[in-house]
Amino acid sequence: MPTLTQPQTLIPPSTHPHADVIHRLEAGGSMLPDTPENLMQIIGIYKAYAVPMDFYWRDLLYIAERVFLNPVPAFKYFLPQEYLDLPNHYAGDTADLRIWRGEATAHPELLEFMEKGELKRKLPKLFHHLWHDRVNMEFAEACMRAMLWHQDMGGRFNDYLYTEEYKAACDRAIRAYFKGNPAMLGLHKLFPEMFYEKCRELSYYSNLGLFWEVMAPVFFEMSDIYDEGGFAGVPAAMDFLVNGIFAVAGRPIYHHVYVGDECFELIPKSCGFTWLYEAALPYVEAVFYRTAPFRGTKSYNAQAGQVPQDQNDFHYGILYADVFPVGSAGIPPTLLMQDMLHFLPPYLLEYYQQHCRGEDDMLIQLGITFQRSMYNVTSAVIQALRAALLYPLDDQNPRHLMANRQFFEAQMDRFVRPEARLRDVQRQEYR
Amino acid sequence: MPTIVDIAVNTEGFSTLVAAVQAAGLVEALQSPGPFTVFAPNDAAFAKLPPGTVQTLVQNPPQLGRILKFHVVSGKYTKDELIKLGTVDSLEGASIPIHSPFDDEAFEVKNATVLAADIEADNGIIHVLDTVMLMG
Repeated sequence: MPTLTQPQTLIPPSTHPHADVIHRLEAGGSMLPDTPENLMQIIGIYKAYAVPMDFYWRDLLYIAERVFLNPVPAFKYFLPQEYLDLPNHYAGDTADLRIWRGEATAHPELLEFMEKGELKRKLPKLFHHLWHDRVNMEFAEACMRAMLWHQDMGGRFNDYLYTEEYKAACDRAIRAYFKGNPAMLGLHKLFPEMFYEKCRELSYYSNLGLFWEVMAPVFFEMSDIYDEGGFAGVPAAMDFLVNGIFAVAGRPIYHHVYVGDECFELIPKSCGFTWLYEAALPYVEAVFYRTAPFRGTKSYNAQAGQVPQDQNDFHYGILYADVFPVGSAGIPPTLLMQDMLHFLPPYLLEYYQQHCRGEDDMLIQLGITFQRSMYNVTSAVIQALRAALLYPLDDQNPRHLMANRQFFEAQMDRFVRPEARLRDVQRQEYR
Repeated sequence: MPTIVDIAVNTEGFSTLVAAVQAAGLVEALQSPGPFTVFAPNDAAFAKLPPGTVQTLVQNPPQLGRILKFHVVSGKYTKDELIKLGTVDSLEGASIPIHSPFDDEAFEVKNATVLAADIEADNGIIHVLDTVMLMG
């Protein structure tokens, strides 16, 4: 994707409340201002995000493929070696597409953390787990649940989960999984929809796992490029993401279940589901924009009118989040911030120590950094959609430029509501 | 008269499309009586996609097939007929908007410009595009 700096003169300036950001997007920029401080922050946090993400995707696939319908999945976060060694399809020598460096197996920093945790002591796995000194898979599951709950966000994935074809495949897998277990098979007979619904949830586990399998090596690569002095600015980092989105757009999204040595294809690759349409776009919509209010913070009482009547208007994602309550119990992002805290690069640690309350409010500071970085990722998605569905930024046809303009304005309409943090991330002192 | 596939194979500038149709296993379907309207992106259109895009698709025939089916419409529609319709449903399922040409501007299908329209084939008609269209 070319980066443009020349100002638009073929069409009149935008009068949108976010006109400044729209003009920046039209010039090939990001919603996040191009400053060295922003670049340093977002790349640092991508790296800190990539390490736990390397665990998330592996465990999501493990749960979707192997734990499956285990009625007491007490050990679902205990990733077996087989899944730690599972070669990433987009990293390592066996990769389908080798455009990002990095190893195919679990990242060394992740393995070290899994062994010793925050305590830096090699204790039994169960102790680390119960002490909560581990990667917080609950965050990944919260993201999966947001996708499951919002469901219809484009793509064909969700529709497929209600087809007879899908149910028949689930039925085969359920019968094989509970073979010799008359109690569970009886339950399946009595309440057939119950396990189908559980399978749908597990299909979203697989969907998100396959999505993040790509993002982890992308973020590691961005960190490496930055360390080598390779990014000229925030737009360059955004363009890298745009190219990445295109490169893997056609990656299949599927759900395979293994019962013993037998593989059951609940969603076969032949369905034609793609990474872009069935995973990335629904993920961005569900997790960055919508999600749901944190438990106990909003009333769902219809008379109270505290949550939008229309699910499409939900706006509780990271792009709207007030990061201040991070640290409170029951808030999924707290878990993510805690996960990222363990893997911050030294330059970001040093940066946080110089600002606000140093170590004391580091979770909040890194939360704001994460918000900045996700505004950049969302910018990449917006630019990728513009490139895919509309016209090049240097197009000379004013009608095409106006179509791009309308697209950007429609995207920015979503950030007009007061909760949006787009205005805040324009200021460097927002920490 | 040659079929849609014959024309694509024997015309310069469509080697990527032909390779993609072969990889997706759609040759036979596009040689059937149809008739079809095919929006055919040329090699330059595929070359505009960022590195890796085509490779990933070629590695995954069902996914590639879906993108290609977005370029095929059941029935034979000439440029004038398409403009009159305003939108057509692709074999992929998503619809394709057709723009009425403004003044003396080029004929546009979604965000692609038609470089050559109304190429008649035995089992349909071909319109050559300068851009690979994506659903949405």
